[in-house]
Amino acid sequence: MRSGIRPQEHWRAKRFRYRLEVLRCSSCGTVNMTPRRVCRRCRSTSLVPERLPERARLLAFTEVKSTTDIHEETAPYLVGLLEFEDGTRIVAQLTDVDYEELRPGMEMEAVVRKIAQDGESGVIVYGFKFRPVIA
Amino acid sequence: MRTVHVAGAGYTKVSEHWERSLTELAAEAALAAIRDAGVERVDAIYLGNATAEITSHQIGISAIVSEELGLSGVPAIRIECGEASGMAAFVQAHAAVSSGLVEVALVVGAEKLSDLMPEEYNTVYTMTLPHETMGFAGITPAAVAALLYRIYTERYEVPQEFVAQFPVLMHRNAKGVPHAQFPFEVKLEDVLSSPYVAPPLRRLETTAPCDGAAALVLVSGDSLGSVRSGSVTRVGGVSLRTDYVSPFDREDPLFVSSVALSVEEVLLRSGIDRNDVDVLEVHDSFSIMAPLILESAGFAPRGRSGLLLKEGSYDLNGEMPINTFGGLKARGHPFGATALYQLAELHLQLTGRAGKNQVEKARSGLAISTSGFGAISGAAVLLGGDGA
Repeated sequence: MRSGIRPQEHWRAKRFRYRLEVLRCSSCGTVNMTPRRVCRRCRSTSLVPERLPERARLLAFTEVKSTTDIHEETAPYLVGLLEFEDGTRIVAQLTDVDYEELRPGMEMEAVVRKIAQDGESGVIVYGFKFRPVIA
Repeated sequence: MRTVHVAGAGYTKVSEHWERSLTELAAEAALAAIRDAGVERVDAIYLGNATAEITSHQIGISAIVSEELGLSGVPAIRIECGEASGMAAFVQAHAAVSSGLVEVALVVGAEKLSDLMPEEYNTVYTMTLPHETMGFAGITPAAVAALLYRIYTERYEVPQEFVAQFPVLMHRNAKGVPHAQFPFEVKLEDVLSSPYVAPPLRRLETTAPCDGAAALVLVSGDSLGSVRSGSVTRVGGVSLRTDYVSPFDREDPLFVSSVALSVEEVLLRSGIDRNDVDVLEVHDSFSIMAPLILESAGFAPRGRSGLLLKEGSYDLNGEMPINTFGGLKARGHPFGATALYQLAELHLQLTGRAGKNQVEKARSGLAISTSGFGAISGAAVLLGGDGA
């Protein structure tokens, strides 16, 4: 079994995966990461597209040693919990950094990188990872 | 609403059953439960299963199971709620019996995960997280557990062993249990020296791929007279709740509100409070999940469950015994079957059939089942003795 990567599915998710574009609820301020009709928190229908800032603070991190079929070739890889200025949190892969260099509170920035590949001749998909901001 | 009773329980050993299929396992557990209950008929089958289409190339699996049981013609419904599928099936069966729609319901949970290669198992397990934002990016359940683990030990300033000792307790309870996947003890040093899965989370703080099936027969109070079972408990209540799927989208990632709400609701419906619970089953899919669930359910102050474990509160002879046959860690975690093992084990405790694991004077038991990190959680109370 391979779970596979369907190009259509990736295409639908491109706003979030390429641009960190989300839908912010103009009633309660909640960030909704994927396209939807109503706010997940208050059910308001006034959702406005917005790009999350490119920088976020690292709250916690780990290293994934064993993983899913489409990510297997890149394991082990680093994963971090990141928080934007407005309090929105996301979990993403970290790149351009070693595990030993990571510290909670580090400022990180989003970069577009290869995320997964569906076998040797399959689809390659890209998305954001986070790397330390170099002062 | 009528009273609903558990009249019988059955289960297979949790193991890698290479020689047997998903449906054979389901049938073994179901036939054992039917025999235990002494019922002549089954009016409906509720099957808890998370992954049949992946592991067994089968959709519409409920009809395959009814056929395997010689019960073709009987309504049979497969219920999928991730790792909480078994509890969701139990909740639906309870609703059918209590409402009067069904007199005798068979609830079976079955899962067949051992055929999967390790990366396939990881792929399936990762489906409990939102694919579009997490699974796609390679964020696995172990990674999420590791992040929660870090936040927990830092926030409450507790040493790692306060979390890592939960698997030690689970293995101690599972020792010598015939149906447990890992019926042996491990020491804290073993846990803390096992390889990292995602630091700080180590191999012995996770569950392993396995196969298993467990089943219960539910009978209405009206029909209880026609049942030959000598070991009956009453379902005090059931509840199922949902929450944002990623714990990091919640106000506090360490608070599992679906657990808090379902436990609060099930206690209210059962007319008991936390002090009345004699045996507790928690969903310890990762070591860190045990403290998060105990604390979210109100059975320990925040950040303190590790201390309570150390003091012996959760031991078989402690104030609040948990996971008396080893929990997910050591009895095993065959996703859709897991909650039915929890409930079958509570049923054994409340009918005085728990053998060397018997909790003295156990009258009421609470099972908490969770999918992912609390995206879906369900709770059920069973009452024994005069309350049955």
